[in-house]
Amino acid sequence: MTDRETFLNYLAEKSGRPRHQLKDHPLKPVNDLPETTMSGHSQDELLEIARKNAPAVHVDFQTTDKAGLPAALDKFIAAKADGKLLLPTDDESYSAFGLTGWRDGLDPKPSFWVPGAGRKANIDTANHSEAAIGFADMLCAESCTITAPTTPGQGRAFHFLPVHYLSVICKSRIVARTRQAMDYYEPRIKSGEIKTSNLNFITGTSSTGDIEMVLVVGVHGPLDMTYLVVEDM
Amino acid sequence: MSTTQMDDTMFRRTGQKTGTMLQYGDPNFVNRVHQSTADKFAHGAISSAQDAQWVKRETARAELGNWEGWRDLSEQIRQHCVRYLPDYLEEFSDNVEKRGGHVFFAQTDVEARDFITDLVKKKQAHKIVKPKSMVTSEIGLDKALLKIDGVKVTETDLAEFILELDDWDEPSHLVFPALHKNRDQVQKLFAKLGYTGDNDPQHEARFSRKVLRERFLEADMSITGCNFAVADQGMVNIVTNEGNADLSMAIAPTQVVVMGMERIVPTLREAETMDNMLVRSAVGTKLTSYCSFVSPKLPDEADGPEDFYVVIVDNGRSNALGTEFEPILQCIRCASCLNVCPIYRNIGGKGYGSVYPGPIGAVLSPLLQGDYGDFHDLPYACSLCSACTATCPVKIPLHELILKHREVMMNDKHMGDLISDTVMKVVGMGTGHSSLFRTALTFDHVAMNAIAKKGVKDPETGTRVPDTAKNLDENGKHEEWMPFVFGGWTKVRDLPEPPAHSKNFRTWFNKRKKSQIAEAGGEDAFRKTQADILAKNPNAPKAFGTYDNSVSARKVGREQTTPLSDATVPTALGSIEEAGVGDYADRAKGNADNGKKD
Repeated sequence: MTDRETFLNYLAEKSGRPRHQLKDHPLKPVNDLPETTMSGHSQDELLEIARKNAPAVHVDFQTTDKAGLPAALDKFIAAKADGKLLLPTDDESYSAFGLTGWRDGLDPKPSFWVPGAGRKANIDTANHSEAAIGFADMLCAESCTITAPTTPGQGRAFHFLPVHYLSVICKSRIVARTRQAMDYYEPRIKSGEIKTSNLNFITGTSSTGDIEMVLVVGVHGPLDMTYLVVEDM
Repeated sequence: MSTTQMDDTMFRRTGQKTGTMLQYGDPNFVNRVHQSTADKFAHGAISSAQDAQWVKRETARAELGNWEGWRDLSEQIRQHCVRYLPDYLEEFSDNVEKRGGHVFFAQTDVEARDFITDLVKKKQAHKIVKPKSMVTSEIGLDKALLKIDGVKVTETDLAEFILELDDWDEPSHLVFPALHKNRDQVQKLFAKLGYTGDNDPQHEARFSRKVLRERFLEADMSITGCNFAVADQGMVNIVTNEGNADLSMAIAPTQVVVMGMERIVPTLREAETMDNMLVRSAVGTKLTSYCSFVSPKLPDEADGPEDFYVVIVDNGRSNALGTEFEPILQCIRCASCLNVCPIYRNIGGKGYGSVYPGPIGAVLSPLLQGDYGDFHDLPYACSLCSACTATCPVKIPLHELILKHREVMMNDKHMGDLISDTVMKVVGMGTGHSSLFRTALTFDHVAMNAIAKKGVKDPETGTRVPDTAKNLDENGKHEEWMPFVFGGWTKVRDLPEPPAHSKNFRTWFNKRKKSQIAEAGGEDAFRKTQADILAKNPNAPKAFGTYDNSVSARKVGREQTTPLSDATVPTALGSIEEAGVGDYADRAKGNADNGKKD
């Protein structure tokens, strides 16, 4: 392979521009459309924008309050899980949503993405799960996108291998666009406050138009997707 | 800046050939076009796809609002990254290594391909999964991998999987590679794997899910492309709708990322902006189903790559640096230029004979090779309609670059043949001398009359009309055949016969002007009347040339993006007004704070 310095020096020579000029010429955007587009909406308005945009990305968009959350989840499990439910290991989120007791009382017992259990075991569990319930950090109203950084208790394949998927999101964490989500992650990943190797932005179900441009919903990832927004958190 | 734009190449400087695996199919352009256009299904599919994508793309852009402002921002980001490319690549490679990954640099396709095949052997990988990636096609990776004993390669994007089953057929579109395949062909190809269902795309896709799920689960290596590399995080951004890239990256313990060296952005924020532009332009939605930012797995995470390699590929991209072709490195591979191109619509992806078809391919393919050996015809596969330039989300002046290739071939490389050189010289003389030009206009009708034909008689109206020429003179004659290069036009459509001198536009205009002067009572009075009309027309200054914002007025290399002052902020409507706003960093911080947990 070409040595890095040789490669980069060649580019500098070919372009006629010396290296290491960037510190004196940082990017100063010509406009701030990413920050100002769709700005100024209340959480109530953002919730309605997200709800309105959900059908376009084949999302079953539901809302509930904290008290109704366990029942809403039970309904999803009864309809989709067929006794094979996958849950994340995330005590903090269960506690925040008031779901610790609900989790511990589930019957039949669910499977968990287990920190320390290793690659093969977790992937195998996820692959044999009919349904997964995951926690999302944010919901971006414009595109109806949930964001989920990989954690030890909620791995990458957690979101892709089960057949059906439900994401629990707090209403206060709905933001206007993916830009606001990135404004949140950028400094925190850089500073180490959020430790992750992977950031997933997920917008509805997997889909394809590769055969005669006919839309097929559900290809490699989940066949359907439910967002459950918890309103009074 | 080099004056002979294609002289200073990687090959000239280092002796290394680039772009050696780009070309496929019949080397003769005309033969390729005949073969491509003979596929009627593909031809119809491309037309339908272009029409459908037009509606989706323009709707998605309109929903975002202020599209031109977004294009300005995207152009600026991409130009900035290309301008400081060595610095950003250095920062990116440092940060990948901080995350535990490994970065390798390849100046040529052979170098990149050989490194990856050696790595496959060294890691003893046997089952490789590949999400769709143009750059791996560009370096001929699939064919090289298949030559390694005991290695099984699976393309996991549904379209690429279909092409793989068809003996690794070549893609015909950057975003929809199997556009030329119909559901019946897919049914037959899937039958090779035991599919017994009907030709319903839903059933076929479900079958592929089952087959490919097994391939994901047994994979020991994934080889992916890269939509954008995030310099300050050392992360790689990949977007898909099917989720195949995410499954590949999550499950296989080794990941190799192959990236074109220009696919870099400074931070996650710019990656987010570019993803929004890419997806709206490529598939007409706000975002793809999956948009991921990946790096080597952390020790306490279960899945994701333990070994993470990034191969940064030049392969002739640097031939564009420092030349008027440099804007081509702004490209984000959205393929919207293909989706508006009338030539692509007619000759299809395979007519181009390059891994990169369409307007982007016509500009990029000769540049990657550093000469016009294989692709000298491609810059002529263009009507210069400029639809590609108008739709490009990062404002690459594509049609101007195509024209520039023609200029280099003719003026610098002297590649014209004797006939076209002679014809051009005659046309140059004729149009360069007013007396000759006037003479030509006087005799064009007489000269063309000898080969003109009457049209077919319409039984209903009794008039004679040709198939295509509509604006016929009253004699109803048209040209169906013309000699030399002029025949290129009449092969595909009829040409109205030029009117007789006494009836042409210039004669009519002169007569009309004379009568207007006479009516006004002399030339001075006529000029005053005209000036009064112009004075009342609010659009007159623009119409008469003090301001020209047309695409054709933009010249390659002359347009500079100048950052606005910190005190400048766009209004909701996108117009720029001075306002007392703090600096960008403060505003960005304010927005970030808005997204904090409650």
